[in-house]
Amino acid sequence: MKKKTRTFLVIAVVVLLLALAAQRLLRKSPAGFEPERLNREEEHGDGIAEFIKVKLFFLSETSRLLQPVYREIEVPEIREDLYRKFVSLLLAGDAAHITPVPSDVQLRSLHFLDGGGTLLLDFTESLSASFPGGTAAELEFIYFMVDNICYNFREIKKVKFLIGGNESKSLAGHIDLERPFFPDFSWLGDK
Amino acid sequence: MKKSIKAGIVCAALLVAPRLLTPIGIDFRSFDHEGYTRVVFESKHSFAYKVQAHPDRLEVRLDVRADLPVPALAVANSQLLERVTCEHLGNGSVLTVHFRGAAAIRQNFVLEKPFRVVFDLVRSEKAPTPPPQAPVAAEKNPPREEPPPAPRPRSIETICIDPGHGGEDFGAIGRSKLKEKDVTLKIGLKLKKLIESKTGLRVIMTRDKDSEVSLNTRASIANNQRAQMFVSIHVNSSFRKSAYGSETYFVSLQATDPEALELAQKENQNDEDPGEAIQNDELKMILWNMAQTEHIRESSKLAEYIQNELNVLLGTRDRGVKQAPFRVLMRAAMPAVLIEAVFISNASEERKLQREDFLDKIALAIYNGISKFIYHYHSALK
Repeated sequence: MKKKTRTFLVIAVVVLLLALAAQRLLRKSPAGFEPERLNREEEHGDGIAEFIKVKLFFLSETSRLLQPVYREIEVPEIREDLYRKFVSLLLAGDAAHITPVPSDVQLRSLHFLDGGGTLLLDFTESLSASFPGGTAAELEFIYFMVDNICYNFREIKKVKFLIGGNESKSLAGHIDLERPFFPDFSWLGDK
Repeated sequence: MKKSIKAGIVCAALLVAPRLLTPIGIDFRSFDHEGYTRVVFESKHSFAYKVQAHPDRLEVRLDVRADLPVPALAVANSQLLERVTCEHLGNGSVLTVHFRGAAAIRQNFVLEKPFRVVFDLVRSEKAPTPPPQAPVAAEKNPPREEPPPAPRPRSIETICIDPGHGGEDFGAIGRSKLKEKDVTLKIGLKLKKLIESKTGLRVIMTRDKDSEVSLNTRASIANNQRAQMFVSIHVNSSFRKSAYGSETYFVSLQATDPEALELAQKENQNDEDPGEAIQNDELKMILWNMAQTEHIRESSKLAEYIQNELNVLLGTRDRGVKQAPFRVLMRAAMPAVLIEAVFISNASEERKLQREDFLDKIALAIYNGISKFIYHYHSALK
């Protein structure tokens, strides 16, 4: 390789690296977890299924912080289906931990706002009807959902809740539920 | 070698170009002062502009493409302004401030760090005065952009007590079926009695019986009665049955959300030290529209005084002073706190809540906290 060409390539690479580094610094990358793509693949009727490993956090009697549990999810073709499966895992709970959601609550639907940065979760009306009340419980539910989702899927910046297809002023008379919630990872133990 | 440098420059330009073509973010805010309304356009990037004044609107023509948080923004709580819009024209943009009635520019200036274009507008029945020449660079000694006018200091004469829940809204329910709504009403009435007997201050209640009152109405009662303090009384409940202790809240948009906290701190500081420009325009607009914005500092002090007294008198776990976006507090235009005395979901604390002497202690702790706050508040007025 000629000397000139080599110098050109070196300068081009350096400029590119510097630009990428600057871009990374400018963009505030949220703390979070990159779900691990598993090597395990399974034969399905119409092809091979991929799996990712996600880190879920649940409440515990012994700690005020949400505690981690790992799960595997089969990656569906449609992104929304992945989030739907993820929320179903949260609702299903973990035998060794507390799930801060009334047991009869289901996810009705899921949508995106703001070009995908805000995830809108629409739960069944039992969320407010069966909710036990209390500020602490409301915050436990909100950050259980928001932190789990935003921690595992960095592309989601905030989460907004609907109940029975409608905006709700509050879950049980305390926290304003009409606004979307940003994550607060200080709720998470063993990040 | 020259070719290499050129190639490097081209590479860099290609990487930077999309950034230059991206519209700059413009943040808008306004405050009604006595006799005039101040309008501020703030951006991380400076820009040149021209002004066209009309009786019903003000047009600010920018030489760059710009975006407001939303293309059309309604201005709440302003006597003069109705809405602000942003349109793209070629490589530039026009920001238009629409008035309620007619208005004219009293002065226009630019401030730096962060870059701000400021207009002071006055109501006018006539044609607008010609706008001053739009400065492109910052003036040497420009007027300061004042923070939103602080509420005129006045002594505390009326306190609003808000017993949480009521009527069909039971609040949290303990294992032995004790209802939060009954506990909060008892504490509220005890507190009212204490304040009235010991201080002579006027006390209003959002409810004094087992009735349902909406969250918005609770704040409206306090606002309409011109209360200078709002104290919402609750008992807590958690999915964790072992959770116990007391905590006192004042409002935030987002519990411990770093951006919201930074925002609240910036907007509540009196000195002009703007620091880094705020990224989240949406949050900022919400904050400016919150009745509680002007009172966050006082609310945090009130919360601290009350929490300290709860710690002294109740002998339970100190869960501290916290912030969360409480709906009832957001609309209160005065120092406002929400007290979560103890956990009704904790069997031991629920038993305590069934004892009158324990409820007396809670009321006394809140009263002591309020008294200390009033003492320091009035001392600061002198």
